[in-house]
Amino acid sequence: MNVWAIAVNTFREAVRDKILYLLVVFGILLIVVSRAIGWISYGGEHKIMTDLGLFAIWLFVALISIFIGTQMIYKEIDKRTLYTILSKPIDRWEFVLGKYLGLLLTTAMILVLLSSVFLAYLYLMGAPLTGAIFQALLLTLLEMVVVTALAIFFSSASTPVLSAVFTFMLFGMGQLTKWIVDLGAQVQGQAPWAKLFLKLFYYLMPNLHNFNVRQEAVQAAGRGEGWAVSADQTFSIAVYAFSYAAAVLLAAVLIFRRRNF
Amino acid sequence: MAISTGTAVINEPALRIEGLRMVYNPGLFQRSKLAVDGLDLEVPKGSIYGFLGQNGAGKTTSIKILVGLQAPTAGRAWIFGSDIRDSACRKRVGFMPENPYFYEYLTAWETLEFYGRLSGMSGPQRRRRGDYLLERFGLGETRNVPMRDFSKGMRQRLGLAQAIMHEPPLVILDEPMSGLDPLGRRDIRNEILALRDAGCTVFFSSHVLPDVADICDRVCIIHQGRKVAEGRLNKLLGQRVLEVELSASGVPPEGLPEAAKLARRAWHDGELYRMLLDDDEKARKAKQLIEASGGELRSLVPHYESLEEYFVRVTRDGEIANLGGRTEPIGESTPQPGGKEAKA
Repeated sequence: MNVWAIAVNTFREAVRDKILYLLVVFGILLIVVSRAIGWISYGGEHKIMTDLGLFAIWLFVALISIFIGTQMIYKEIDKRTLYTILSKPIDRWEFVLGKYLGLLLTTAMILVLLSSVFLAYLYLMGAPLTGAIFQALLLTLLEMVVVTALAIFFSSASTPVLSAVFTFMLFGMGQLTKWIVDLGAQVQGQAPWAKLFLKLFYYLMPNLHNFNVRQEAVQAAGRGEGWAVSADQTFSIAVYAFSYAAAVLLAAVLIFRRRNF
Repeated sequence: MAISTGTAVINEPALRIEGLRMVYNPGLFQRSKLAVDGLDLEVPKGSIYGFLGQNGAGKTTSIKILVGLQAPTAGRAWIFGSDIRDSACRKRVGFMPENPYFYEYLTAWETLEFYGRLSGMSGPQRRRRGDYLLERFGLGETRNVPMRDFSKGMRQRLGLAQAIMHEPPLVILDEPMSGLDPLGRRDIRNEILALRDAGCTVFFSSHVLPDVADICDRVCIIHQGRKVAEGRLNKLLGQRVLEVELSASGVPPEGLPEAAKLARRAWHDGELYRMLLDDDEKARKAKQLIEASGGELRSLVPHYESLEEYFVRVTRDGEIANLGGRTEPIGESTPQPGGKEAKA
């Protein structure tokens, strides 16, 4: 009940901030501009439009959720709105979880908004529209389940600037986790400690690379296929997203519970 | 004997603090700071309790501990017998921080609705209470106005409204009159009195001493994190007579000089003879001399220390050590409305 009240309030506060719409409009512009890039390419216009559109949505949704999320809890402390909330009969974990769900709800709304524009645009342009594209968008949302948890984690412990730096670092490194595995395979047998370190690093880092099925979706849509990756794989990715986010949020709660305001 | 009700104890005071201590450790290479040093306190039910101290005395830190914003280094506190570490005990507390801040994009109504929800109120309860409070605090016209357009006085009123939204039996206010104009201060003062009249206990910090003197039943003064005085206001201030004012009529010329010798100052205001005397003993002697000479005593009024004078004395004038945390036992007699008794 308390978690939901905080989540709804966070969502309401976020969607009334005009800066958000400026970013959304900018995202829509980028989707539309992808058509122009399609024109200057030789052949495969629809593929490029779809590819760039999915990329623009992913980038903007990630930027917005990191931008809002890394300020979220710090702003509550800085503006002291937190005083009247934590003095009510609520537990701190409810506050952290409520802020997270509110941010996730905001992120989902932006994703739905941008996706609607994107899909309508693809439809109008006569590009192939299959379930694979929806799947890529769904996995973007699942990726944001992890990214928003990271943003909330850093926001509960640090300033917005540092939180943004750390979240972007993890967001960036999370895209490169596949390379860590490849690197680990190369050092095998030569330096066992390095392999162990890379393995540990791999498991600690958010494996965001797995959420990126945009290329596969564009190929599958081109072939008229309904799936970019299998349903089992999608399910596994979803389980990973929620498990990783739960672990990060648990750490955020443990830090937040110890803080004095 | 206290009666247990499962979660709380009926005969417990509204608020009890034992050995509360708070030390801030800012980090490596920085000195730790003692903010609250072994604070003991009991706030009786149904009273208006003033928590006084200079800036940085430890008032806000103590209050933040009580409402769950900070964890103490040591010590414990109970609200109606429930340990403050249990978040459920805050169902019985309403809190208004100093200069309350709210979400800028929420309207006044949404703000109250939100806090009502957090306090566990049902939908109909929130609607009924929210409407009532907005009208009561003169915010009915602005119910759909976002908080960013609210003035300081309006925010303060809404701050109080959110604190009492769920009708808590204990209300804790941190500097509720801070930065308000005289009308705003009067409104808040009247609301505090109305809350007490409705059976609520009000615990508030302030350094606006005339406001405290006007409405408090009991006060606690803390200085450098330590309690230096505590008790019923009329008892604390009634212990030290600063001077006695005597007025008399029909005093023959030969009777006056003797009595006037005892006075710090003596004069005739055109109707009565008046004198200011240092203490009760001199006043008694002057009274005897005037009556013996055939004069008539019209009044004998002792002037007690004001709260401000008392505050300065216990916090600055070196009497802290002598007082050693002077306290006066709680609760044998019912506090007087407005915290005042006839002093003459």
